[in-house]
Amino acid sequence: MDIRTRDHQGIVVFDIDGEVTISTMPQPTLHQLIKDQLERGKRDILLDLKKVDFIDSFGIGELLASYVSTQNLGGKLKLCHVSRKLFLLFQITRLVTVLEIYEDCDRALKSFGTP
Amino acid sequence: MHAFLRRLRVDVRPDESRAAAFLFLYFFLITLTFSVIKTVKESLQISVNPRSWWVFDLGTAVLIGFAVAVNTRLLNRLPRRKYSSLTLGFSAGCLALFWYAFDLYHRRIYPFPVLLVFVQSHLNLFIYAFSFWSDVFIAMTITQFWIAVNDIFHPHQAKRLVGFLVTGGLLGGIAGSAIAWSLPKLVAPHYLLLVCPAILLLMIAVVGLVHGEGERLRGGTEAGSRPAGAGVGFLESLRTVRGDRYLRILAGVLASAVLVGQIINYQFKFVVKAQGWNDATRTSFLAMFFSGVLVVSTLFHLFATGRVLRRFGIRVALLVAPVVLILGTVPVFFLTIVTAAAVPTAAGLLWASLLRGADKLFDTTMSQSVRELLYIPIPAEIKYKAKVLIDMSVNKFALGFGAVLYWTLYRALSFAMKTPEEQVRTLGVFVVAFALLWMGLIWIIHDEYLGKVKADLARKWQDGHKVVDANVDIGLTRRIVDTIQSRERSATLYVMNLYGLVQKEKLTAELMEAIGLRGEELKARSMDALLGVDGEPAFQGIEDIITDKEFDSVVREVMALPVYKDVMEKQIGDLVTGKSASEVARMEAAKALGLMEPTPAVIRELGRLLRDPSPEVLNYALHSAAAHLRKEHVPAIVDLLENPMTRQLAQDTLAAYGPRVEDVLKKRLQDREGPPEVRRAIPDVLARLGNQKAADALVAELVAGDEVLEAGLIEALYKVRANHPQASFKKRRIAAAALSLARRNAEDYLAAAEAGAGREPGPERQAAIDLRTKLLFDLLTLIAPPEDVVKAYQNILRGTKKSVDYSLELLDNILNGDLKELLFPLIESLPPEERCRRLRKPLRAPRPR
Repeated sequence: MDIRTRDHQGIVVFDIDGEVTISTMPQPTLHQLIKDQLERGKRDILLDLKKVDFIDSFGIGELLASYVSTQNLGGKLKLCHVSRKLFLLFQITRLVTVLEIYEDCDRALKSFGTP
Repeated sequence: MHAFLRRLRVDVRPDESRAAAFLFLYFFLITLTFSVIKTVKESLQISVNPRSWWVFDLGTAVLIGFAVAVNTRLLNRLPRRKYSSLTLGFSAGCLALFWYAFDLYHRRIYPFPVLLVFVQSHLNLFIYAFSFWSDVFIAMTITQFWIAVNDIFHPHQAKRLVGFLVTGGLLGGIAGSAIAWSLPKLVAPHYLLLVCPAILLLMIAVVGLVHGEGERLRGGTEAGSRPAGAGVGFLESLRTVRGDRYLRILAGVLASAVLVGQIINYQFKFVVKAQGWNDATRTSFLAMFFSGVLVVSTLFHLFATGRVLRRFGIRVALLVAPVVLILGTVPVFFLTIVTAAAVPTAAGLLWASLLRGADKLFDTTMSQSVRELLYIPIPAEIKYKAKVLIDMSVNKFALGFGAVLYWTLYRALSFAMKTPEEQVRTLGVFVVAFALLWMGLIWIIHDEYLGKVKADLARKWQDGHKVVDANVDIGLTRRIVDTIQSRERSATLYVMNLYGLVQKEKLTAELMEAIGLRGEELKARSMDALLGVDGEPAFQGIEDIITDKEFDSVVREVMALPVYKDVMEKQIGDLVTGKSASEVARMEAAKALGLMEPTPAVIRELGRLLRDPSPEVLNYALHSAAAHLRKEHVPAIVDLLENPMTRQLAQDTLAAYGPRVEDVLKKRLQDREGPPEVRRAIPDVLARLGNQKAADALVAELVAGDEVLEAGLIEALYKVRANHPQASFKKRRIAAAALSLARRNAEDYLAAAEAGAGREPGPERQAAIDLRTKLLFDLLTLIAPPEDVVKAYQNILRGTKKSVDYSLELLDNILNGDLKELLFPLIESLPPEERCRRLRKPLRAPRPR
């Protein structure tokens, strides 16, 4: 699993490549990387999951912990390019009620500008 | 303008400077006029026979009612600027007419002798008319001024600036007194009335500037330009006040203050009368007394009002007056201070002067300032109806009530037969009684005031943990995802996960769909895509078997067989201790141990698997440890807090143990030689336990001052407060920790700003300061109402200008002075040099060269 970070007009975009699982998670973990950005004053975070096939329970935990850290600082964490099967997984586990998910990243990026 | 006001130490922002200066000038001119008119009025009243003095009080009380009705109606119909200008123009005309009438009285020759004779033979009519008119004029112009302040500023702005504005009023009073004292030496006293129209015409220009500045600050809208409730009159104002608890209490505060002041005034008159002075001496003394009160009030206001308000808040500022007046009254009950052996004493005169002076001092400074602030959180459409009634009628009603009370006392209790000492003592009882009522009403209105301020604040976002807890079953989510994932790793693992899932959850159609057990079209489309499996699921029909109660009984019976236990324990033992077992085999073993009965061998092998190098094996081992909750596993689980891959699950597992692990966690938390990552992960577990012991352990470690743990400890304490409201915290310890954190944050800001030659710190440094500020607010939820603190923080960060002001006002009333001095400069909208200036004082930092 590979995580790359880029800045898009103040929004931090994480491009994630590979399975988000306990055995593939790099160090520092996704949650730690997001916390680092929050500590630098960033509050708008977008996870691009275009190249993510699967997320295990550890990965779900990382996503939720990242959501909580961002939310508690008044920030926003959004997901984009979520595959159909991941979206189904999020639907079944009701994660769609918590995580803001967009089909494409442009719309997700634009959505940060609106309250 | 701003630089000039800053040099005068006025706490004003650049965009407020012009409005504040114009309002200062407005109030200065009002009180200047007021002082001159009042002096002329008192002088004319004294010239009338004392038997008729009651007519002045009664007439004013009745006419004020009509004036309120007219004032309210016009205020609701006309734009504020137009209404104020018309009132001032009309008043200038009236004053000119009164001057003309009084001047006729002094003439000997006039072209119309009939008019001259009428004026000279009915002078009292003109004095009554002037007296009534001047009372109405004073009440209306002062009310219009405060309405203008309310129109232009939000609560927190007004609170900062009200001291400056009242200073303008006090200085105007001194200037007016000086004119009233000096001019009659040169011309007849009624010529003073000609000074006033000129001032009133100047005020019309100032009113234009004030409202123009108000429109600029509001972005172009004129206050009152859209009539609010046109046609609303006195009765509507009365109904508004009667129907609103807050307004009723506010009226009660004002009425009780007026009553106390009035009775103290009676005491003062008794003591002065007891001196036996002639008219000239008595008048000279009174003139000196009133001018002294005005000067002391001005000095007090300049140096104390703002500071008391900023440091102690509204409640204390309001309570100062009744507390001082009660304490000042008490000596008269125990000491002979008014007259000794029927001889007046200097001590009595000093006592009465101090008490009356204190009442006037507080009334014109602190109490007046705070009473105006109390109107600010009231919605505009109610405020204008209520303020006119309360300001213009309630004090007159209270005066009338006081006069009736005094009259009753005189008639019913042989008051006239008492010595001055006894009369003053009797009145003192009423002073104490009404001052206690006043204090009670202040206490109530402060709570109501905070309620009004809070009513305008809403959360900007919800707590992340609560959102997740309310919407997602994390345990079920994990089990589902683990089951799906295990399908690709091992059939055995999949079936065991499935069996474990069925034990915990009813296998609903939705759940079966999630884990790929049904063959319907929907499932075939979704789950095949989800799992990347082509064609039919690999375990067709398994749902019928695994949910069968008979199957469950068989599994339990098999697991209970001694021979099964022997075989499996040996097999797992060999597997765990052997070096050739695959990761999947170890995962299966870890999972199986969670399903088996907790025999010593099972616990021992699970302990070994809790030290496995594979995070996936540890994942299953931790789940199994959570199923057995054996104390032997606790040290290994605590060690897993160090590993970021296992930390979250290890925290969940330890939380599942409950209070049994508190002592172990507390010991590891305090172990400064232990791995910092383990120590950092423990507060979250203690927070989830959420009992008093866990809360105490967190506070103890926070007070110990280990900065490595500080953020985690505060976040954990915030969670305890949010999820376990019954937990209690020693406020003094938390306040000390909050003060220490606020001090470090302020020092950090000051150091960064001064290093950058007075500019704001760089983005990363600022982000660190912002995070520390967030932690400080989290900590404050332990010692102040949590919802208030959270709302204030969120609105300061993301609110409108109005909600930011209301948030600051709320914090101003719930935090202590030391903390406010360190926190407010960082959260208010200020230029960096102003932040630094305000932080240097509490930090006792020298100004950089």
